[in-house]
Amino acid sequence: MNASRTSTGPAIEVAGLSKSYGELRAVREVSFEVGHGEVFCLLGPNGAGKTTTVEILEGYRERSGGEVRVLGMDPARGQRELHERVGIVLQSCGVQSELTVAELLEMYGRYYSRSRPAEELLELVELDAKRDVRASQLSGGQRRRLDLALGLVGDPDLVFLDEPTTGFDPAARRHAWETIRSLCSLGKTIFLTTHFMDEAQYLADRIAVMRAGEIIASGKPEEIGGRDLRPTEIRFALPAGMSASDLPDTGAQDVVVDGDLVLLRSSDGLRTTHAVTEWALAGGFELERFSVAQPSLEDIYLELTAEEAQ
Amino acid sequence: MSGHSADLSLALWQVRYEQRAFWRNRGRAFFSFLFPLMFLVIFASLFAGQHISSRGGISYNDFFVPGILAYGVITTTFVNMAISTSILRDEGVLKRMQGTPLPRWAYMCGRVGSTVLVVAAMSAATLALGALAYGVHVRASTLPGLILALVFGTACFTSLGIGIVRYIPNAEAAPPIVNISILPLTFISGIWFVTDNMPAWLRHVAAVFPIRPLADALQYAFDPRTSGAGIKAGDLAVLAAWTVAGVLMMLRFLRDPQAGRS
Repeated sequence: MNASRTSTGPAIEVAGLSKSYGELRAVREVSFEVGHGEVFCLLGPNGAGKTTTVEILEGYRERSGGEVRVLGMDPARGQRELHERVGIVLQSCGVQSELTVAELLEMYGRYYSRSRPAEELLELVELDAKRDVRASQLSGGQRRRLDLALGLVGDPDLVFLDEPTTGFDPAARRHAWETIRSLCSLGKTIFLTTHFMDEAQYLADRIAVMRAGEIIASGKPEEIGGRDLRPTEIRFALPAGMSASDLPDTGAQDVVVDGDLVLLRSSDGLRTTHAVTEWALAGGFELERFSVAQPSLEDIYLELTAEEAQ
Repeated sequence: MSGHSADLSLALWQVRYEQRAFWRNRGRAFFSFLFPLMFLVIFASLFAGQHISSRGGISYNDFFVPGILAYGVITTTFVNMAISTSILRDEGVLKRMQGTPLPRWAYMCGRVGSTVLVVAAMSAATLALGALAYGVHVRASTLPGLILALVFGTACFTSLGIGIVRYIPNAEAAPPIVNISILPLTFISGIWFVTDNMPAWLRHVAAVFPIRPLADALQYAFDPRTSGAGIKAGDLAVLAAWTVAGVLMMLRFLRDPQAGRS
């Protein structure tokens, strides 16, 4: 009866997806695939069509055109089997606030033919201590953790996560990330939307960036937008008493001096780094705040989404 | 078959959860449950010992208790359903429900079932207070009329209460919209005072809407002059017609619970 569960096709297939609201073309001919067990992250500024796209995949909105298959099913048909196998963690979804955490997990668990025990979920999201507290009494971060637990209560094969760590403190975020990673190791497919680039960097196997209703770039976090082909950035502070003219020839194409901070951009990062460190060691001075990095995902993202916006 | 009975048991579970949530929200429970009783005490005290000449001199209490009962049915079903469902929609609870395998009808059955229990409790409390404090007794002979009026009224105002949410833009707009559709009508529908001497056109207006028929059906069952089972078929027919309208509105709302929201 669960033939599709063992299917080898992608978990999500989107081809030529379009959605218009009157004159406004919110989503324009978008196509992508998400493989089973993959963490796929959709990025984009507000109004780029991200939410519309995700809500079509979740079955909340109807599409104007194109083909969509989620776990082999058309979400527009609202099949129960799809709801059984998909977990949705949305910021905009509330809970019956008079019920306690444990009651909510029990109640929502009943709706699914295979559900995870409340105890297990409480442990997973570290809400054991709050089990008998009403949802209305939870802090923002605790509410988000409850949302995550409720999204997982049906033991879904595919989980939609909408900004899962907004409002978390750094430790809670780290923990949430570990939880999400642990889902991947169970073979779950995860469709993530977030505004945090470090979150996308840490969690995603693949990223797609949307702007003005279209996907303008996609790929692995370390390769998207030609990130891997960008010059390496070497930064350090000028030693005291030195000026830019004292720097050796490092082979960098671009030298930016901002106060006492130097930024070298080099397509041959290894050689440039070597030249800088050799110069410092030979001269016997410290290079404070020395770092070697590729442009961050955030740099690439801002570049991608800023184009045309001028 | 087995799927349907499983869904039915889910609906029954939902009744329990809805009940738990209902009674824990003190403000809402007070409004639905104690508000009508409070009015009963106030009005019965104001008109203590008075009689209604246009109704063969029956005591005011025999008129008020069923009137307040009608008002209680309307607040526990229509007012409560419309406001709480608007809140659930605004808070995204309906959206979460839409994303689960629970069929929408099973969820709504749970909410309706819970409402029926609240109506039963509110009716019992109103009748008990009426009997103990004001000597208004339900006669066994007109019990069928009383029960039928309560059943028809509950069905009518519950379906309208859910259906109207489609036309309520957000939870903040719910109380004014609900009050505007209820309060003016209560004044011409014989809830608070006798409207027998009201201009004919106003009586006709009242008779078209469902509040007057519900109050009238209940007052008929309580009227000491009533012989027989106390059933007023005309009133029940109007309530049934409004129930059909309410169910159609409800189905429209349930097709896309997020539509109409702004």
